[in-house]
Parts: sequence; structure tokens; C-alpha cells
Amino acid sequence: MSEKKLLKTEAEIYENGWKKIDLVLTEQSLYLGSMKILLREIEDLELVTIDNLKCIKIKKDGEIIFTIPEKLLNKIYRFLAYNLRSDRFAVYFLSPATVGGVVVKDVQWEKGYLSITDGGIWFLSPKKQVRISLENLGSVDRDVRTVGGKQRVVLVVSHVENSEVVTSFILCPETTLEMLGEYIQRLIDSQKPQAELTEIEKQILTLIYSGLDSASVESIIGISSDELNEYYDNLVNQGLARVVRIRKELELTPKGVSLVSDIQKSQNIVG
Amino acid sequence: MLVIFRNLKILWGEKMPKVLIVDDTAFMRKLLRNILFSAGLDVAGEAENGKEAVELFKQHKPDLVTMDIIMPEMNGIEALKKIKSIEPNAKVIMCTAVGQEQMVKAAIKLGAKGYIIKPFQAPKVIEEVKKVLGLI
Repeated sequence: MSEKKLLKTEAEIYENGWKKIDLVLTEQSLYLGSMKILLREIEDLELVTIDNLKCIKIKKDGEIIFTIPEKLLNKIYRFLAYNLRSDRFAVYFLSPATVGGVVVKDVQWEKGYLSITDGGIWFLSPKKQVRISLENLGSVDRDVRTVGGKQRVVLVVSHVENSEVVTSFILCPETTLEMLGEYIQRLIDSQKPQAELTEIEKQILTLIYSGLDSASVESIIGISSDELNEYYDNLVNQGLARVVRIRKELELTPKGVSLVSDIQKSQNIVG
Repeated sequence: MLVIFRNLKILWGEKMPKVLIVDDTAFMRKLLRNILFSAGLDVAGEAENGKEAVELFKQHKPDLVTMDIIMPEMNGIEALKKIKSIEPNAKVIMCTAVGQEQMVKAAIKLGAKGYIIKPFQAPKVIEEVKKVLGLI
């Protein structure tokens, strides 16, 4: 190995159970036992918990999961996040700016990067590495906000986290902002359901989001249980909801939640 | 649902808090009515624009108004001003979509007591309504 070693430590890799290996990190590669992974070939990255252990999941021609002592795990995660294969743009970001429409206090603008991978977008700074998977992205809009006492055009990116709509703001030179907005919009469009929903399906989706049970949905929409079940099947088939109980009770998937948010926005535009 | 309603009626006596729902879409009014009913609250009336809201407010003197912001004829901010000029202590909660923070700020300055975000989530609506009514 001619590359400069940055770190060597014991680790465990998950391959039908945990196996002890040596982990070596260099400027260009990650070695897990005899496996060499070029950092620029890592497609995406995620923190996951397996067997109550905090692990790093690497996406590269499949998935590779490993764990190391927590003190080092966060450092390696940050290093990999900065070096994986992505389109990276220097930006200022504020994340999360709002959660469920409520402004988050004590969050500050950070200088860092917006990094776009095959599986998601990242807000990266030395302090923060926030990953938002593409399926959880809801919308991207331009808006004017007061930043450092000045009125500035920012991008407002919304996504779904724990069934709530979360927004983050991005600030960068205007020409980059426009290009980034279009880029993120294309990513969002690529995740949207192909089929158009009927007005009743949109209303049912909104009622499920609001937490109403089947009986209430039937009474508000004015349909029978059998009819509602047909609508439910359609929502489930489109990946917008999943069944959580027999005598179908549904909960929305992130895709469904972000669609409800869009429905509300379009209704507010028309009045 | 009916059992909860009756229990709360016993708890509050015969005078249950009355709410006026203001929204230009019938669907959203139905949804709010259902949520408020499940929390044991009485719906005094429903209006589909600000002008109707002011009239119904004068007639029913509700304990609380849930007020949509963007509506035809008279918007929620104008209706809030009129209601406040009739009854300065009126309790009005604004209903807003994500991204309308500036309008909410304006409404709070004009005396709105709180706000709920669309799309509605029942527990959050109930919590805000009860908070403004002083029930929690």
C-alpha cells in the first residue's frame, strides 16, 4: 500500500453475522480486511443501527455494512461523506430551518457544501453531515429571506422526516442557485408517482395524513367501506401508503406525505 | 368517538367551547369539524370567506375561530382585523400552509392567538386549540 495511511483500527463487517477485520483509511481508499474501496466509487452512505450497534452502510455495487468504536465512527463517516462520489457545490445552508412549519430555534447558517449523490442530497459542514434520501425530498422553491440583516434569495428545500415536513435553506450566488434549484427539482420529479391522483384520492391522502381512521374517512368523503378499500389499494400500489392494520388502516410513506404537502400548496395558490 | 364527546360534556358541563370554522374549501371545513368533534368541541358555524366569518362571529360569539388565510372576497387577515374590532378579546387561530410565515407574523401582530399548519395533523390541531382555549 503506497498511499498515505490516515487511520488503522479494528472493525467489524456484517456478512451474515459480524466478522472482525482491520480497517485502514487512506486519502483515496478504505480497506475493510482484504477489500479495497476507492472513495470516489462510493455511491452513497448512511448511518444505520444493526444489533443495537451504530454502523456505516456504504452503497457501492450493493451494500457494505461495518462498525467501529463510536468515537471513530463519526469521524470516518464525516470523512467518507466529504469524499464519496457526488456533485458538490459550495453553499451556505440552514438545516433544519422549520419542522412541521415551526421555525427551529438555535440553528445557524453554516458554510459548507450541498453534495448530491445517486441516493440523496447532503448538507455538509465540519459540524454537520445531514443526508436526505431522494424519496424523502418534497419540494424546492425560491424565496426571499433575511440573512445577516439583508434580503437574499434562497432555495427552500422541503423533505419528510418522521412524518413531518422539514425545510432547509440554501444560499449561494444567484446563477448557482438557479442551476441548483433546477437540479433538485429534476431529482424530485424523478421520484414522483407517474399516475395522476383523482380529487377523491388526494382528499383521502390528506385525511390519512391528518390521522383520521377509516370510518371518519368514509363519512367525510361519503363513500362505502368497499369503495374506500379500493382507493386504499390504489394508494398502496402507487407506493404512497402502506397497510398498518387489517381492516385496512394506512399510514403514509414519505412519498405520500410530501404529496399531501404539495396538494396543500397548490390549493393555497388557487385560493 | 361519541363516548369521548359525552365524557367531555360531563367534564365541561353544558357549556362546551364553541368554534367557528372559516375555510373556503368544504373539504377542509369537514376535516376540521371532524377533528374538533373528536376532541369534544362544539362547532358553532362554518364560513367560506372572511365576510361570512365576520357575520357569523357577530351572530354566534364563538369561543374560538379557526381562520384560513387565503380566501376569496375577504381574506383571513382582513376578517381577523374586523373580528378584533368587534371583540378585542376574540380568540382566533390562523390556518396556514408551510411557507406563509410572513402572513402568520402579520396575523399574530394583529392579535391572532396561534396558528395551525396545513396539512393538518389532528393531535397538533387539538393541542393548539386547547392551548388557546386555556384547557391545557
